[in-house]
Amino acid sequence: MYGGGNTFEGIKTDSVAQEDPQKLAAFEARIARGEKIEPTDWMPQLYRKQLIRMIEQHAHSEIIGALPEGTWITRAPGFKRKMSLMAKVQDEVGHGQLLYSAAETLGKSREEMIDDLISGKSKYSNIFNYPTFTWADCCFISWLVDAGAIVNQLANAKGSYGPYCRALDRICAEESFHLKYGHHCVIYLAAGSPKQRAMFQEALNRWWPPMMHFFGPSDKISVHTEVLMKWKVKMGTNDDMRNQFLDMYVPKILELGFTIPDPKLKKNPDTGRWDYTEPDWDEFKRVINGDGPCNKERLEVRRIAEERGKWVREALKTSKTAYVTPLA
Amino acid sequence: MKSLDPRVNRLPVPGTPGKITPKIPLDQFGSYEVFVQPKEGKPFQHEGIVHAPNLEMAFVLAKEAFTRRFTCVSLYVTDTRDVFVSPLTDADKNAYDMISDEGVKGNDSYEIYHLAKRGKQHVHAGVVTAGSPEEAMWKARQTLNTKQVFNIWAVKTSNIRKTGEGETILWDTLPEKKFRDAADYKGGDKLKEFLERNKS
Repeated sequence: MYGGGNTFEGIKTDSVAQEDPQKLAAFEARIARGEKIEPTDWMPQLYRKQLIRMIEQHAHSEIIGALPEGTWITRAPGFKRKMSLMAKVQDEVGHGQLLYSAAETLGKSREEMIDDLISGKSKYSNIFNYPTFTWADCCFISWLVDAGAIVNQLANAKGSYGPYCRALDRICAEESFHLKYGHHCVIYLAAGSPKQRAMFQEALNRWWPPMMHFFGPSDKISVHTEVLMKWKVKMGTNDDMRNQFLDMYVPKILELGFTIPDPKLKKNPDTGRWDYTEPDWDEFKRVINGDGPCNKERLEVRRIAEERGKWVREALKTSKTAYVTPLA
Repeated sequence: MKSLDPRVNRLPVPGTPGKITPKIPLDQFGSYEVFVQPKEGKPFQHEGIVHAPNLEMAFVLAKEAFTRRFTCVSLYVTDTRDVFVSPLTDADKNAYDMISDEGVKGNDSYEIYHLAKRGKQHVHAGVVTAGSPEEAMWKARQTLNTKQVFNIWAVKTSNIRKTGEGETILWDTLPEKKFRDAADYKGGDKLKEFLERNKS
């Protein structure tokens, strides 16, 4: 479970104006009734476009997110940790498969999505452009990055697009294991030797800024965002998600005796929301546009896998099967 | 490419970094629909799709993608093109009311699936004997049409790759894989002990 804050394309709002008003009204009424939209239902172009973008980014995040954790499988401390980490990474790649299928029902083929990932046209969760230096970095991802993603995914599972919601229901059910496993790993580091504690504290210091970036910049509440929220594509603002994450996990981090590297971080008793140092959004933009510590490596690993698997795909290809859009 | 991961450093580098070798048009596998029976006696339900080069590989990939974690006693897959789909309805419109074509008559076996609630999965409703998917839906309209459904699927039974006898052992080891269970990661005692220790 890795989906982070999504970046939506800024589309001119008149792109809704050209839709058939009657069909649009029926579509919006269906969503307002709490019914799901299915692939063969009529939907506005903007809805289709933004959903493809969101689900595709989410799918990419799952398979790219498997890389910084996957690298620790052989070095995880002990047999059981290796087994659980392997199972977790396999789950994440499986989530990628479920999400690609959901996006495919909207008309973009899996092949196109993979190509767009490798060419850098599509984005994925920015946090995976940072390296996992130590085992503690890997534990940070398993516990807190997953926790952040769960906040997003539980919200999105209440969205309006049927296939995406069904994929998310499956995904969220599997995530309970990841979260427990991640917390378990961190408890053992926290209750361990001073060296182990220091290792996690260092990981926390490294990962806190990208974790705050994870939910995305504050949304400007534009007409565009309002439309996406009305259509239940976007289920909450980025700040809401970040706030919910801080609410749930800051106490758990502090309970373990670690320090969060932000002196301004505290809950404002008047507003009930968290105050924090504004994350460095210039760094966020720089990294998301390709200049992060691991961007090149992440995409190169995917590209090499694609190139190396090519002969297998060609050998297995027969004219008896054909790619068609999935049903649901 | 220099990585923290020695395995990445050892990778051969085919092609050109940042570029994808152009692919033959539609260099992708076929689509297959996956149905899972979660428990003995429960109906099969649609779970999703896999892409595979053939029905047999689709079965293997479906086993991996959909039955790794959740209980499963049986699985089957079918080519997406072999699923005949009725119109999708809403509100109080029954999808069976849209079925009027009796189609070609015959004696093949067809599996029928219903979508009982929008947003949920298609669930197996029963089997009918027919000569075409149209006739199968027509027959289902007479025999399986007990309450409102929003969508109907019909698949010829012979186009389905079912779980064979003896293959159910695929899922025998599921209960042993405790390391995949949230319940296996109880950190509470360790945490309590740590907090006690810190207090004193």
